Amino acid sequence: MRTREVIDCHTLVIGSGGAGVRAAIEADRYGETVLLSKSITGKGGCTTMAEGGFNAVLREGDTCSVHAEDTMRGGAYLNDPALVQALVADAPARLADLVSWGAVFDASADGEVAQRSFGGQSFPRTCYAGDRTGHEIMATLMERLRGSGVERIEETAAIDLLKDGERVCGALALNKKGEIFAIRADAVVLAAGGGARAYDVSTNSGTGTGDGFALGYRAGADLIDMEMVQFHPTGAVYPYDARGRLVTEAVRGEGGRLINTAGERFMAHYDAKRMELSTRDVVARAIATEVLEGRGTANGGVWLDVTHLPAETIEERLPVMLAQFLRFGVDIRKEPMEVAPTAHHIMGGLRITPEGQTSLPGLFACGETVGGVHGANRLGGNALADTQVFGKRAGEAAGRAPKRPAKIDPAQVEAQERRIAAFFEGTESPDSVKGCLQQAMWSGAGIRRDAAGLKRTLATVEELSAAPLRAATPRNLVECCGVQNLCTISTLICRSALLRPESRGAHWRTDVVQTWDARTSPFGHTHISRAGASIEEVRG
Amino acid sequence: MKTITFTIVRFDPESDRAPHAEEYSVDVHEGARVLHALHAVHARDPSLAYRWCCGSGQCGSCAVRVDGDPALACITEARNGMVIAPLDLPVVKDLEVDLAPYLGRLPAIVPGGCAGFPKKKEIEAIKPLRECIECMSCVSVCPALKVTDFAGPTAMRQELRLALDPRDAGDRVAEAVEKGLFCCTSCQKCWKVCPKEIRIPGKAIEKLREIANRQGLTLPRHAEVADLVRTTGRSVARTKETLLEQVPEVIEPYGKVRATVGFFVGCMYNGRLPETALDMLEVMRRNGIRVVIPHEQVCCGSPLIRTGQTTFLDHLKRRNIEAFRTRKIDTVMTMCAGCGSTLKHDYTTPFRVMDATEVLTAYGIEEPAKLHLTATYHDPCHLLRGQDVRDQPRELLKLVVDTFVETPNQCCGSGGGVRAGMPEEAAALGEMRGEAFEKSGADIVISCCPFCEFHISEHTKLPVKDLMTLLREGYEEKDRRKTSEP
Repeated sequence: MRTREVIDCHTLVIGSGGAGVRAAIEADRYGETVLLSKSITGKGGCTTMAEGGFNAVLREGDTCSVHAEDTMRGGAYLNDPALVQALVADAPARLADLVSWGAVFDASADGEVAQRSFGGQSFPRTCYAGDRTGHEIMATLMERLRGSGVERIEETAAIDLLKDGERVCGALALNKKGEIFAIRADAVVLAAGGGARAYDVSTNSGTGTGDGFALGYRAGADLIDMEMVQFHPTGAVYPYDARGRLVTEAVRGEGGRLINTAGERFMAHYDAKRMELSTRDVVARAIATEVLEGRGTANGGVWLDVTHLPAETIEERLPVMLAQFLRFGVDIRKEPMEVAPTAHHIMGGLRITPEGQTSLPGLFACGETVGGVHGANRLGGNALADTQVFGKRAGEAAGRAPKRPAKIDPAQVEAQERRIAAFFEGTESPDSVKGCLQQAMWSGAGIRRDAAGLKRTLATVEELSAAPLRAATPRNLVECCGVQNLCTISTLICRSALLRPESRGAHWRTDVVQTWDARTSPFGHTHISRAGASIEEVRG
Repeated sequence: MKTITFTIVRFDPESDRAPHAEEYSVDVHEGARVLHALHAVHARDPSLAYRWCCGSGQCGSCAVRVDGDPALACITEARNGMVIAPLDLPVVKDLEVDLAPYLGRLPAIVPGGCAGFPKKKEIEAIKPLRECIECMSCVSVCPALKVTDFAGPTAMRQELRLALDPRDAGDRVAEAVEKGLFCCTSCQKCWKVCPKEIRIPGKAIEKLREIANRQGLTLPRHAEVADLVRTTGRSVARTKETLLEQVPEVIEPYGKVRATVGFFVGCMYNGRLPETALDMLEVMRRNGIRVVIPHEQVCCGSPLIRTGQTTFLDHLKRRNIEAFRTRKIDTVMTMCAGCGSTLKHDYTTPFRVMDATEVLTAYGIEEPAKLHLTATYHDPCHLLRGQDVRDQPRELLKLVVDTFVETPNQCCGSGGGVRAGMPEEAAALGEMRGEAFEKSGADIVISCCPFCEFHISEHTKLPVKDLMTLLREGYEEKDRRKTSEP
């Protein structure tokens, strides 16, 4: 296992979800672009699973400033305002790109892209393709990508960002055969998605192992707000192996009602005005509280009911949900779904400028790998918009980066070769370490948090991080790297969560009594990097 | 938790000479999917290679064969005793197959058509074609792909999706023809295994062939058939006395009338194989089924629908429906698998349609003598997948032969206009069928479709017979044995 081959390109994009493919399409306009993907291109990541929609201001009566205010309010004002401005300003144009590339969004009676209501928004601005919007976007992007000059390297993981001094100049990649090779690039775009797989109950795909956060962190980038993990209020609870699978917010957007075992529409006690269409943090906490206080089902969930809607509405607007539940013997036209919160999206991530520039020269990032766009809580429909807005921005900025000769540091390569080779000597099963990690994170760094629990969890995570993982075959090396990445980001989540002594957005500290609300909070972003960790304190 | 025991077909082309089956017992939760059973095996034996990603049926990474048929591992329930094998595509390792060559053949949009958002009507037409998750299950089962350079079912779906989109500037129909539009035998296997149930033959390939027809791209041999139907009402030329020329309008049974059915004859039984139809009528007489045969009936239109030549289809449909409606017939019996499937799916009829084997098993039949034969059965595509008729012919066949053996199912290659339009492909598929039958150990092949029977008999040394002929022989043998009894 020696690193000999070097692939050379102008822009290297890591990750083939919505953000990565969008970035690659854009970067391709400026120079040779390589798209590195851990899965088959377009099949990994979470974009393809995204059901609900894409927020964009399209109609009279709606404005970008209202979209921005909804996003900031929903994000408990922890968002970076410049990123929010970029998101809302560009979203309509990025939607138009998709439409011009052939996206088949649902149409309204007046022949425009249809929009529906989503939680926390003062205007129905969520564009959709039934409840398979992310799949539609991925299909469109893949069609576009196939027609581009982007070189695809598939089923190969990035294991370390290459650095020439402080500058990022490529990545080391590991394929299924266990071969390591270097990709040198003038600019690198990190679009490796999120890491909610750190939790036992999660909506994420198998690739959601936090690779982007971990690669960025190890290279020295600054990450912000890593404690902000969104628990989507409605995940499946049965059968056991389907736990956490997303039940789209569109169910509530179309009029679905949340009901406890006492038969109450309990959201009246938590947000009487917005009810089920309150923000995700509020609804998730409400469900968790109902279950905790004994008004949940035997499986630890509550009911989500659409039986009052006409069957045709459910068939047309929620076909994926209908089919998924039918498979488990539940006809949602006639009976309610059983749901509970599930780890869904990491709002924190690499700190970027609106152009996607991270704190490291040569490194750009977009999509779920970055922080600051969604603050402390993301609005439904803003993530797909985020992938396209910042995918394009990061791809463009990387593409415009100057050509620059770079040296690959042999010491760095050798260190990685040693790291990978050590997996063959390891003793611990990556599957079982991952299982322990997910349990620990779910119980100690989940929806309800307190300092004692977070410290306990951090200790467990650190112990698991030190486990010598074993690769039984060369194919298992990538799995070992993924589990290490999960350990790394779990540490980042716990440490950041300990830094924030307040409940804000998705971060719910049960051990803190606070006198301020989100607007008057004395705290700003948490920062974490190899240089240290801190929380911004805002001086009134 | 529960324990399940199942088999995985494993293969490492780098070290193994051939695939081998391995049995595993693992603990899984109630309701576990195949994927979770694979995870459980992987936890114990990390060398097992399989793909997965989203775990919720949307990414198309985890398609495998479960008990022979493609399915997504993440949505198919794990069962005790199941056999998990890779898709029938080149194996990378264990359950991983090489999808890249097939993904690479999916055409990309060529922007430059009309700008702007398509009309609602256009969106509604394209939407059903957009649900594809590119799992390549359809590609793995397509018979045409095994013997030709056909780009595959989902590539055709994508061609139509682009052809229907005003934003695309490509010449999709010509491209589809180039990529094998006329290679599809309409065997229906692709959509039966599609996790999204996209009806590619009917909803994509036949639609593309219709557009091809409007653009003058119909194959000359197919156009000849259409001309024949237009001028004679029949898709085969008259070469001998037809069935309709030989039979009265009503055929009374020998004994008590147990039921009355109309008989939709079809062009092949009328013009090419009237003897086989007479065998069937004899079997009906013997079993108390009164058969009404309107003589004004014409071709069902199947050869036109399958090849995209639908301009005068409505005329045929009206004439056929009226022939039975005016005689107040509530059940119309078909004998040809293609006619049956067409009447069931492409017509809206005021009567129910049943295959002859469905009629006989519904009413029950007098037992024939068992002939001293080892028979195998060829499932006609338009009977098995077109009409979900699988067990009835087997049930009848087992009554009339000593031994019945199965042959793994595959299209014979004669359907979808392929026999006429792509004779080399049809012959190659016919040869595959012939070899499979000869391997089965049978000494006779039985089928229920005139096209299959005709085609297979050209590609096997074994005799090929219609089930109805065999049943008649069984009755004759029974009568013979009775009279020769002392």
